Amino acid sequence: MEKVFEIYIKTTPERLWEAITDEETRQKYNFGVGVSSDWTPGSRYESVHPQAGIAIAEGENLEVEPPRRLVQSFTALWSDQVKDEGVSRVTWEIEPVGSSCRLTVTHDQLREGANDELYGGWPMILSGLKTLLESGELLDTPGSLRYSGASADTE
Amino acid sequence: MDEVFKALADPSRRTLLDALFTEDGQTLSALEARLPMTRFGVMKHLKVLEEARLVTSKRRGREKLHFLNPVPIRLIHDRWVSKYAEPWAAGLSELKKDIETKE
Repeated sequence: MEKVFEIYIKTTPERLWEAITDEETRQKYNFGVGVSSDWTPGSRYESVHPQAGIAIAEGENLEVEPPRRLVQSFTALWSDQVKDEGVSRVTWEIEPVGSSCRLTVTHDQLREGANDELYGGWPMILSGLKTLLESGELLDTPGSLRYSGASADTE
Repeated sequence: MDEVFKALADPSRRTLLDALFTEDGQTLSALEARLPMTRFGVMKHLKVLEEARLVTSKRRGREKLHFLNPVPIRLIHDRWVSKYAEPWAAGLSELKKDIETKE
């Protein structure tokens, strides 16, 4: 199964690449979870929730071509159910369009009928990324804060 | 954002999105076979949906596959459904679904 998510963001490919690969920036729009890696081709990456100390995801950086293309294997780790889904693949593609960028996230090699938790968060993540890069502000809808530790007052 | 509302304002286009929600990555022929629409109708509506970025397509060999892109709808949601309103909106939406499926 394959899922495709696309968004236009008014920014440069370089800033977008940094927002995707910088651990602290990533935390600001990715449910509070960053990603750490040395970003060389074939390197590993891991995402650990900083407050809870829970492993969220891990995988390998299969293709690393800054600032245009990043292909990663993806293993979700946040519950036994998602762990059972095994390894899928996430491809980030950045294409400049005028003064903006088109960002396409393709999540494929998913099992037919895969648990939708695996890919269901992408619209929220991409919306938060757009808000951050275009306004410098954090998206504070409860969905985007749900796992960030800042949402206790709204749940 | 105008394009998104315009695209969603047509029942045939919503049916097309429903079909892609059920099974993502379909060809024009697959959509045409599944829906009570002509090939021309499906093409015309897909074009409007693609312009609104609600549908994104990928070439796979000789085939063009169409995918539902839910991101523009999320952007609309995030613009107006505030931090405090979302739990109420989600609760009411659940309530409506529960009541309507019991009938």
